[in-house]
Amino acid sequence: MALASVEVLPVDGRPSEPDGFREFVEARSSALLRSGWLLTGDWPSAEDLVQSALAAAWPRWATLTRQDAPELYVRKIMVNTFLRWRRRRWNGEIATGRLPDMQAYGDAFAQIDARQALIAALDRLPPRQRAVVVLRYFADQTEAQTADALGCSVGAVKAHASKALARLRDAPGLAELMTGGVAS
Amino acid sequence: MNTEERQLAEMLHRVTPEPPRRVTVEDVAYRLASEPPREPRSRRGSVWNSAFRGGRGWMPALAALSVFAIAGASAGIAAVTTSHHTRTGAPSDGTPPATVTVSGSPSPPAPAQSPPPTGETLRVAGGMWDAKLINRDLFSQGSLTGSGDSLYAVESGSLVRIDAASGAILQTTPYSPPVFTRPVVAGNTVWVVWSYGGSGIVLRGYDARTLAQVASVPVPASGGVSSLAQGVLAAGPDGQLYVAAGDTVATVDPATRQVTHRTGLTAGQASSVAVSPDGSKLYVGVGSFQLLVYDLPAGTQVSSSRMPVGSAGNLVATAGGVWGTTGIGMSQWVWFAPGGDLSRSFRVSQGAGGGFSSVPVYSGGVVWIGGTHELVCASPATGQALARTPIPADHSVVEYFASPTVLSNGHAYALYQDQRAQLAGVASLTPPQACLG
Repeated sequence: MALASVEVLPVDGRPSEPDGFREFVEARSSALLRSGWLLTGDWPSAEDLVQSALAAAWPRWATLTRQDAPELYVRKIMVNTFLRWRRRRWNGEIATGRLPDMQAYGDAFAQIDARQALIAALDRLPPRQRAVVVLRYFADQTEAQTADALGCSVGAVKAHASKALARLRDAPGLAELMTGGVAS
Repeated sequence: MNTEERQLAEMLHRVTPEPPRRVTVEDVAYRLASEPPREPRSRRGSVWNSAFRGGRGWMPALAALSVFAIAGASAGIAAVTTSHHTRTGAPSDGTPPATVTVSGSPSPPAPAQSPPPTGETLRVAGGMWDAKLINRDLFSQGSLTGSGDSLYAVESGSLVRIDAASGAILQTTPYSPPVFTRPVVAGNTVWVVWSYGGSGIVLRGYDARTLAQVASVPVPASGGVSSLAQGVLAAGPDGQLYVAAGDTVATVDPATRQVTHRTGLTAGQASSVAVSPDGSKLYVGVGSFQLLVYDLPAGTQVSSSRMPVGSAGNLVATAGGVWGTTGIGMSQWVWFAPGGDLSRSFRVSQGAGGGFSSVPVYSGGVVWIGGTHELVCASPATGQALARTPIPADHSVVEYFASPTVLSNGHAYALYQDQRAQLAGVASLTPPQACLG
């Protein structure tokens, strides 16, 4: 069979694609995946998270776009899906092997070490603190938006953020990362 | 925000890498059509989940994989004997939990994670090609390769060396693939893509016996790496390594561990590379989807052809042309392009519907194509199937064989899983003589 006719097969039973959904996915999937990576620590889980959130947003897309807040909704689903996943499984801390050498700034290995130091630091946080860090400091959401996403008060967000910062302060290598310069 | 919060925010944006690929609407559509949201294949989850994590990471475009993962899948190694001697390996009783470190520094290779298998041989897949399990460890789809008496595969967070005779894991070293590409064995070194994103790539080499790290080679990626990358590392017959590196293909000399040459592409970013067995041709996949053919000694492009598909890659070169995959999930197919001309290409086997299980492998003188539907061996010269056998379902739930790899001892091995039974292991098969190369 000649390949000129090869196309991705349609999926039976899938709802029609809502207007603007494709443009949103193309424009924002990278940022959403990066948030997912910060939440989960690896790309496969990040993709699961983003796909799950986008799948949940798909049937509600028209309403979300009318409310002009599709990304907030998608991120809300992401963090709550992440929290649900974390509740369902063992949630102990992960032993870190050798600590990254933070002296080798400027080369490719330093980039890798920096990323792993970051994930190791985030792994020290309880899930809700981690979610607050990602929403507040990576997704640049306000405290009110973060509280809405997590279904808690603004005060609780502040408390989570404060505790998270305290824990991150003690994370090996993170202080150097926050004041150093390893490009991604 | 106070100063510390601003520093944290700045650092998060600076350090968080770009994803190796982006989620597409098609990914989401397959997710919607297949299942509700579920547990991730976490690096900290069960071994069943771990097995899928690797596969998803390497080929997340295969959203339909989730259809098969829902039951909680198992993966392992199936051994294929190319002689008619039935080996007597057997599964171990338990599967050790996957382990992960988050350190980026080179770590010494770890001892075996699983004891040599003992006990009775377990027939699998209804005895298809006399399939028998000899091991029940869990590996990422499509990650199997081998050399000498050893197999190499990737499981959650680790590259492992497996004793082909017993199925036991002998060494492990931390490794999480950033993009789908099989480890490449060149001489006494196993090469993997350690980092693939942003503006840089890092290859790492491990001693083939001990898995001690022996090399790290940073490879600049001109123009950034392709978001469609799959199958980005290949070795030539002289052992030189070829890496899809943005809008170039970098040649790495494993002896000097230096980039010795860069082939500039005329059409976008390289997503997949392959080198012909005689070293005369370099095949490069670009975008969705164009195949560029280069005269490797001369360094000049000799042809270009296109295929009207959304994604393709996982190129494998043989004497007669180039092979690859196209489509996603259930619509995935394996094709063969004689002479590297996509206008003459044809389908060889229906795809996996289960991720990377159908990625073609050139091993033992024939091209092997696994999957969830059938196991095929095909002629490297003509692309025609030499033999094929259907892979049975387990009470309507698929089983798969993936990345068959033939070793010099006359045996071939493939990843195997039965999702319903959560059963995996090293099995021996006895394929027909037509597959013996």
